[in-house]
Amino acid sequence: MKRILLIARREYGAYARTVGFWLSLLAFPMFAVLGGGIPLLIKSSEPVNEVVLIEEGPEATGLAAAVREALQADVDRRSAQTEEAAKAARAMVPAGTETGTEAAAASPMVNSAGASAVAALGRSRIRLVETPADMAAAAPGAEQDAVVNRYLGDEIPKSERLDAVVFLTRVEGRPAARVWTAGTTNSTVESFVKRSLRTANSRQVFEAAGIDPAIVAETERFEPEVTAFSPKSISGGELSFRDRAPAFIGLASGFILWSLIITGASILLNSVMEEKSNRILEVLLSSASATEILTGKVLGVALLTLTVMAAWGGIGAVSLISFAPDRAGDIGQVLLHGGILGYFAAYMVGGYLMYAVLFAAIGAFCETPRDAQTLMGPIMMILVVPILVMQMALQTPDAPVVKILSWIPFFTPFLMLGRMHANPPMIEIAGTMAGMFVTALFMVWVAGRAFRAGALSDIKLSWKSFAGAVKGGR
Amino acid sequence: MTAALTLDGLSKRYGDFHAVRDLSFQVEKGTICGFLGPNGAGKTSTIRMILGLQSASAGRIDILGANDGRKVRDRIGFLPEERGLYKKMTPVEAIAFFGSLKGLPTGEGRRRAREMLDAQGLGESKRKKMKELSKGMSQKVQLIAAVVHRPEFVILDEPFSGLDPVNQQGLESIIRDLAANGATVLFSTHVMQHAERLCDKVVLLARGQKAFEGTVTEARATSRRFLELEGAIAPAQAAALPGVTHVDTVSDMDGVRVLKAQLSPGGRGQDALKAAFLGGLDVRRFELREPSLHDAFIDLTGDNPDQDQSVSAAHAEIVR
Repeated sequence: MKRILLIARREYGAYARTVGFWLSLLAFPMFAVLGGGIPLLIKSSEPVNEVVLIEEGPEATGLAAAVREALQADVDRRSAQTEEAAKAARAMVPAGTETGTEAAAASPMVNSAGASAVAALGRSRIRLVETPADMAAAAPGAEQDAVVNRYLGDEIPKSERLDAVVFLTRVEGRPAARVWTAGTTNSTVESFVKRSLRTANSRQVFEAAGIDPAIVAETERFEPEVTAFSPKSISGGELSFRDRAPAFIGLASGFILWSLIITGASILLNSVMEEKSNRILEVLLSSASATEILTGKVLGVALLTLTVMAAWGGIGAVSLISFAPDRAGDIGQVLLHGGILGYFAAYMVGGYLMYAVLFAAIGAFCETPRDAQTLMGPIMMILVVPILVMQMALQTPDAPVVKILSWIPFFTPFLMLGRMHANPPMIEIAGTMAGMFVTALFMVWVAGRAFRAGALSDIKLSWKSFAGAVKGGR
Repeated sequence: MTAALTLDGLSKRYGDFHAVRDLSFQVEKGTICGFLGPNGAGKTSTIRMILGLQSASAGRIDILGANDGRKVRDRIGFLPEERGLYKKMTPVEAIAFFGSLKGLPTGEGRRRAREMLDAQGLGESKRKKMKELSKGMSQKVQLIAAVVHRPEFVILDEPFSGLDPVNQQGLESIIRDLAANGATVLFSTHVMQHAERLCDKVVLLARGQKAFEGTVTEARATSRRFLELEGAIAPAQAAALPGVTHVDTVSDMDGVRVLKAQLSPGGRGQDALKAAFLGGLDVRRFELREPSLHDAFIDLTGDNPDQDQSVSAAHAEIVR
C-alpha cells in the first residue's frame, strides 16, 4: 500500500507542479466562455449596410414604402427583444440583493461592455439612405448600372460608398428585385429584401381578396403566449427552469465526465509511455509489482482528475452565484436532491477505471504517440458514440437505441447520466451499473497482465501482440 | 561460505526459442560475480528471472533464501541495462523516491542521496534536473538510486556501457566498496577487462547455456598460451612452426602481418622461435603471451570474429 501511495504521489506531483497543467485546466472554462461569447461578439460587431432603394418604373410604385415599413418592423422587433433580454438579466441579478449590487459595482466595465454588446445586437443591420443625385438622374440601363458600379466600387471615398443598391420592380404583377452588393458573399440585404417583398406580396394578395391591410399587419405581429404544464413539475402544474434543469445538468454531467475520463486516461497513457521510453518502468518493476505500479498511477491521475473537477466545479459555482444566483439555487437543488452527484461519482469511478487501465496498458507497449495510434484509433472511434447519442438522450431518454446503448458498459457512464433526468427504472440503473463495474474489474485484470508484459517487451504493438500479452502475462 | 543466489536448471523459452537453457550456478555471499557472455547470450533474461520480472519456463531460483526475487525485492538493488530516471526530478529527489520504494524513509533517503552524491563528485549537480546532467552523471545517479537502501544483493546489468574510462574506474571502485561492505554483487558485461579486475568468480554464458563457472584464473587456464608474431610472414608459415596449432591474422599492412599463433598444451615458445630463425622467416617481433579472460571468453564461447582468416596446423601441413 505504501508503494502505491508513493507512486500515486509522484504521479500527481509530476503534473500538478507544472504550469502547463494549470493552464490547460483553466483552458476549458475559458474556451467555454469564448465559445459562447465569440459568436455574440461577431454578431454584435457586424457592419451596418447602407442601402439605396430605386423603384423601376410606375409598376414598382409602393414597393420602396413596403421595404421601409418592413425595416421599421424589424427595428421595432429587435428593440423589443433587447428590452426583453435586459429585463431577464435584471431578474437574474436582483438590484436589491447584495450580490447583484456588488457584482455590478465590481465590474462596471464588464457591464458597460455587455450593455453596448446587447445594444449593438438590437440594431438593424440595414440603413436606408437617399439615392445619390447622379444615380437618380442616370438613364435606366447601362448608364445607371455604370453609376451603381462606381458607388459600390473602391474608386470613390469610403464615406460616399454604398453597400447595396436595390432595384424594385414587378414581374407579372408580383414584387421582384435586383440587388447589387459591394461584396459577393454578403447576403444580408438580399435576404432582407426577399422577406420584405414576400410580406408586400401577402398584403397585396389579401388586399385583392378584400381583407383590411391593418388586420393583416396585426395578425403578423401576433405572438401567442404558450405556457407548458406537466404533472411531474415541481409545482405540480407549470413547468419552470427548475423542472428542466435536471435534463441539462444530466447532459452537461455526461459531457464533463467524458472529458474528465478522456483527459485522465490520456495523461496516464502519456505518463506510462514516457516511463517506457525513458526505461524507468523496468527500474520501477524491480521495486514494486506491476499491480502496485498500475494502481499507484491510476490513483495519482485520479487525484489529478478530481483536482480538475474541483477547479471546474468551483469556477462554475462562483460564476453562477455571481451572475445568476436564482439559477444557482435551482442547479444546487437538482445536484443535491436529485441524486445526480451520487450517480456522477459512481459512473466516474467505473468509467475512469475502464478507460484508465486500458490506456495505461497500451502505454506500456509504446514509446511514442505514433506507436499508440494503432490501438487508440478504434478506441477513440468508439468513444465518439456516446457523444453523439447523449444529445438524443436529452430529448428522448427512453428511445430504444439510447436504452440499448446504455447497457454497453463502455457507454454506460455517459449515457446513463444523460438519461438520469427521465428517472429510468431502478433495474436499469442497477443492471447497467453492475455491468459497468464487472467490466471495469475485468479491464483491470486484462490491463494488469498486458501492462506487466508490455513494460518489459520490445515487440511492436498490435491488437494481436496485445492479446498475446494478455494471454501470456509475465 | 553460504550462497546468496542459487540457480538450478533455469530455462526460459519464448515460443520455440530457448533464451536460457538449463542454467545452474551459485553466487556466494559478499562476493563479486561477473556474469559474462556475448550480446544475446541470455544474460538479461536470466537477470529478469532472478528479479522475478519474468517467470522461468523451468528450474528453480533461490535468492537471499526466497524462491522468488519479488519476495525480497527490498533487499535487492538493480541497475538495468537501459537506463533512465525521471527527467524533471533532481538527483536527490530521484534517489530518495527509488529509496522510498525500497522501504527507506524519504528523509533518510534524501540525506543518504546528498552524502553519496558528494562522495561521487556530484555535489554541484544536486539541485539540477536530471535532464541537465551528462550521461555519465546520470548513470552514477542511477547507480546510487539502485544502492541507496543498502541492499544485500546488487544486480548490475551492463553497468559500464556508455561510460568513459574515468567513470568506468569510478564505477569499479563503487562495486568494490559494495562488496567490502558485505553486499553480494552480480554484474553482467561483455567487456572482459572489468570482470578480470573485479570478480571473485565469473559465469560465462553462450547461446543461453553456461559455458564456464569458476575464478578468473581458472577461466584463463582453459585457454592456451600463444605467440604474437610480427613480420612479413605468411599465416601458413607460422602454422608450420613446432607446437603451433592454430594461427589467426590480427592485422595485415602490405604484407607485414601481426599473427596470433596458438600453442599446443606442451608446446614451447623457444622451439617455435628457433625454428623461425632457422627457417629464415622475417620475424620483427616475437612475444609469448599468457591468455587473458578475453581469450578464454573467445575460446569458451567459440565467438571468434577473426575465424575466417585463421589457418589451422593441419592446413599448414598441406601447404608445406
